[in-house]
Amino acid sequence: MSPTDCDHVLRQIELYLDGELVGVQRVEIERHLGGCDPCTGHADFQRKLKEMLRAKCGCNDVPPELLQRVRSMLQTPHTHP
Amino acid sequence: MARSASAPPEDPALRDRFEREVLPILPNLYGAALRFTRNPQDAEDLVQETYLRAFRGFAGFQEGTNLRAWMYRILTNTFINIYRKKQREPVTVQDDDIEDWYLYDRLGSSTVEASAESEVLEKLPDEDVQRALEALPEGFRMAVLLADVEGFSYKEIAEIMDIPIGTVMSRLHRGRKALQKALWETVRERGLVTD
Repeated sequence: MSPTDCDHVLRQIELYLDGELVGVQRVEIERHLGGCDPCTGHADFQRKLKEMLRAKCGCNDVPPELLQRVRSMLQTPHTHP
Repeated sequence: MARSASAPPEDPALRDRFEREVLPILPNLYGAALRFTRNPQDAEDLVQETYLRAFRGFAGFQEGTNLRAWMYRILTNTFINIYRKKQREPVTVQDDDIEDWYLYDRLGSSTVEASAESEVLEKLPDEDVQRALEALPEGFRMAVLLADVEGFSYKEIAEIMDIPIGTVMSRLHRGRKALQKALWETVRERGLVTD
């Protein structure tokens, strides 16, 4: 695996993990990752970082009174708070 | 995108649909509002105002439009119009000294108790990670949240934030670097790694 390939792949990792690469570009990255442990290590870390953010930043409980306020607003839509 | 209608939908079917399809994403919107405003009371008010504006505009909602993205666009606009005025903060990240793979390289070269670099991050309390994200300047915080927490595509983020796709990419890249630096400082403060 040439360093140039790795540089190219690492620059594309964000796009790849964000699901923004399609077709041949995506296949190229996947093929490289299949045979390159260091790049796979980078990609796995970046993916887990995304998953960690999603798990830890998207889990706040909704205050019951907020849900209630929104529900009652939908039932009486003409009154602006 | 919907035209801005001023009256709520009279059609009961439309109102049912709004309740059925838009109410279930309230927890996500509330989470985003918390990250945007960094204040539970403002977040509640922001979500309520978002629902009010969405409900009033729902009659003009175009079939085929991504409803979730439409709600986030209203949330974002409402935040910018109302709450941002209250806040003073830097508009950009200082990332010149943050190289790519900042966190991965440091976790890899430090003495980490766990076997894998990413396991250290799992140990961080939710609040620490939330605080690190909330510390990013607004435009970067929104882009990272919309991509990584909410899973929107670059095109959707561009529409939600009303910025070009190139700007989305730049904000994501730079915002993530700044976030990695903040997370590194947090894992050190927590004593999860030793240099």
